[in-house]
Amino acid sequence: MTAVDIQLLGIKKSFHHRVKGVVRAVDDVSLTVEPGELFTLLGPSGCGKTTALRIIAGFENPDEGKILIAGRDMTSLMANSRNIGFVFQNYALFPHLTIYENVSYGLKVKRFSKAEIDKAVTEVLEMVGLRGYEHQFPHQISGGEQQRVALARAVVIQPNVLLFDEPLSNLDAKLRIYTRGEIRRLQQRLKITSIYVTHDQEEAMAISDRVVVMNQGKIVQAGSAEDLYFTPKTEFVAGFIGRMNALPGSVQIIQDNTVRVELFNHTYRIPLLDPELARAENLKAFIRPEFVNLHPGPTEGDFQGIVAERSFLGEKTEYLLLAGETRLTAVAYHASSGEAYLPGQKIGISLQEENIILLRNGGNK
Amino acid sequence: MPEVNVKARREMELNNLRKDPALLVSVTAIWVLLALFILFPLFRMLSIVFVEEGRITLSEISAALLGRNQLKALVNSLTLAFLVGVFGTLLGFIFAFTAVRSNLPRFWVRLLDASIILPLISPPFTTAIAMIFSFGRRGLITYELLGLKNFNVYGMHSTLFAETITFFPIAYLTLKAILAGIDPNVEDMAFSLGSSRRRVFRTVTLPLSLPGLANAFLLLFAASLADFATPLILAGNRFPVLPTEAYLQITGLYDLKGGAVLSFVLLIPAVAVFLLQRYLVGRKYFVTITGKAGAESSIKSVSNLFRTVLVVFCILFSLLILYFYVLLFYASVVQAFGANHTFTLKHYRVVFTEGIKSIKDTLIIAGIGMLAGGLYGVVVGYLVGKKRFPTRNAMEIVSLLNYSLPGTIVGIAYLIAFNDPPIMITGTALVIIACYVMRYGATGIRTTVAILQQIDPSIEEASASLGAGSITTFRRITIPLILPALFSGLGVVFIRSMTAISATIFLVSIRWILITVRILEKMTELELGVASAFSILVVAIVVIVTTGISRALSLLRNPGAPRLASVLGG
Repeated sequence: MTAVDIQLLGIKKSFHHRVKGVVRAVDDVSLTVEPGELFTLLGPSGCGKTTALRIIAGFENPDEGKILIAGRDMTSLMANSRNIGFVFQNYALFPHLTIYENVSYGLKVKRFSKAEIDKAVTEVLEMVGLRGYEHQFPHQISGGEQQRVALARAVVIQPNVLLFDEPLSNLDAKLRIYTRGEIRRLQQRLKITSIYVTHDQEEAMAISDRVVVMNQGKIVQAGSAEDLYFTPKTEFVAGFIGRMNALPGSVQIIQDNTVRVELFNHTYRIPLLDPELARAENLKAFIRPEFVNLHPGPTEGDFQGIVAERSFLGEKTEYLLLAGETRLTAVAYHASSGEAYLPGQKIGISLQEENIILLRNGGNK
Repeated sequence: MPEVNVKARREMELNNLRKDPALLVSVTAIWVLLALFILFPLFRMLSIVFVEEGRITLSEISAALLGRNQLKALVNSLTLAFLVGVFGTLLGFIFAFTAVRSNLPRFWVRLLDASIILPLISPPFTTAIAMIFSFGRRGLITYELLGLKNFNVYGMHSTLFAETITFFPIAYLTLKAILAGIDPNVEDMAFSLGSSRRRVFRTVTLPLSLPGLANAFLLLFAASLADFATPLILAGNRFPVLPTEAYLQITGLYDLKGGAVLSFVLLIPAVAVFLLQRYLVGRKYFVTITGKAGAESSIKSVSNLFRTVLVVFCILFSLLILYFYVLLFYASVVQAFGANHTFTLKHYRVVFTEGIKSIKDTLIIAGIGMLAGGLYGVVVGYLVGKKRFPTRNAMEIVSLLNYSLPGTIVGIAYLIAFNDPPIMITGTALVIIACYVMRYGATGIRTTVAILQQIDPSIEEASASLGAGSITTFRRITIPLILPALFSGLGVVFIRSMTAISATIFLVSIRWILITVRILEKMTELELGVASAFSILVVAIVVIVTTGISRALSLLRNPGAPRLASVLGG
């Protein structure tokens, strides 16, 4: 089977909320998912990502807009005729059916022969490592195993599209990392176009070909994990993906392509690549914690500061620094810097100029 | 905005009816049943009470309220119901607390369970008969043991005692669920903050169970208010209560209208309780049933001494209840209890010769009623719990009406409504079955709605995403999941059909007679041995059939079903 593409065209959906009034859960969302791609909708809870996913599955009808799968309009089709596999957050296994009956359910509905069903179920249970569990009931197996049954049940019907609604959020941390690898391998092996919803940025970056960040029902930015991390377009994305220090200094545009940032009597010169930003009136500078470097001598580096807190995290140590009134987070990886600084210690701080990010001030959209 | 929403919802509900012919047919069919067997009888009764020669009048009802005897009966009824509510709730709470918090060995738990189940499945006079055997003029305890010659068993004290024993299991079941649902961590937290045991109980456990206590009180209040059997035997002349007065008015004086008016007076407190209870249950309980098993309640919430006191109290009380039943059995196999204690089976001979017709009739009615009532409960429960259509809320309220009203009212209303054309079915099995189905099928409705609420919508969505249409989803997923509601509905309707009397005593005839009515006759003829034998027989039949039903259920469902709820949440 060849992989298909998914297109959302201007999807809108509002709900009536008892307190907030009309809530625009999905506000004019358009996007294209390429064939065979694992595409993630990432955002804080309530950003509309799950609603968007449920609209694609056919569990909700959009107020406006269209859903095209392989170019075919699916908008008015019922959920049961879209041939979409859905993996629920709570797995939604049928509690009264065995694992075998759960997995074979979709094939039975589609009236496959007993032999075909047997073969397909055996194959898919083999694939997710659950052979021998056929006659167990959902409550008799662990959460991770239930999760894999849900996955097997969704893929066994050979869906055009796989949808995942925060499938790992009920698993513990170790299992979550293991299972997301499993999902990724399975998806690449079957080459099914997939949309994955999560609020966990690390999970999104680890698993996806492309990520879309959503906030308040709207798409904020789409791109690869690297794009989103290194060139966030808004303060919201910068803060949501990874961590970010906001720099308080004054930002001045000197020329069309260079920006001067004054910070603690030190001047940074940053090339301005985005012409959009050059026109913006008010810019703000940011830097990620791993690009803040520490120096043992207070006079070394760009400016002076004090270590306020220190957290040892194994492969790295995190510092909370105070430079005047400004709080900065810094991360030191032990491979590169073996030194440890103690709370109260005066140190020198330098910022990696080439990694300072400029963004429009106050833009959270 | 809200107005627009209401309009849109109505539109949507109407559309559902138009698009789905199966829904339209079932909604119409249910409404026909509700109109015929709930609304029509009540309407007929209201018109008899309030309409005099074509005009609406309040004279009957005010005469009933102001009449000396009637007023006394009303006050007695309310006092009795209040006291039964208080004592029954207290007793139920003590039992529930002991069951949940004291880690009893299995044998003692079984003993408690048996003594709590027995009153629930017994015909209405069992406690009353046992009371007379124990405390009557020739009573085992008062006369034989204590030598009291003039102890008067009849009156409010005995009625209160017997009703408390008969109804406290309802409070026990309500409160046990609440207490078991309290997360022990909450109590542990209070301990760790330095509270004493007593303080934890007073500031955490008790407030958390307060809605349950209020609910239990109202249930018992309503049960006692409606109870007609116990006061009929035990209240005596000096303590008249409304349901028995209404009954005597009709059967003794053939005054249908007077009986209707008297029982109507009962309606006001009954409806008040119904509304209060809906309000209470409608509000959220503090306790959330998480479905997480694990957390075993620890003994440390009760001190050892207090625990011993509780356990001893509960066991003694259970033994008292069991003693009543042993007494009943003993009385059924001796010549004449209190006078001649030689062994005999003559009472059972009467039961199986003269009484065989009532046994056959009761079993036929209970059998048909059980199937019809179980089905009715699941269908109505599914409609009001799952489907969106116009008149859904009205359907839910009306369907619970006959269950909430005292049996005397329902029985008299049926008697009035079906005695004349257009629908003349008095004296047939149909009217008795209809009465049981519409009254006790309501428990099936509640169970079905509760189970439907527990089923996560994503389970049905999962079925849809796997390609199943709505009919397949209903057949393969929804029906198997609500099957337990069907079986519990079957069980309840059967038990009630075997044991109830308050409504159906007005509906029996020569053609169709019930065991419970036979028991009452034998009691009034002072053939207590035969009455005991009948009672023992009913208990035996109910135990056998309900055991059969629960066996069938456990065979049908998979081994996972008992923990259904914990899986449903994911």
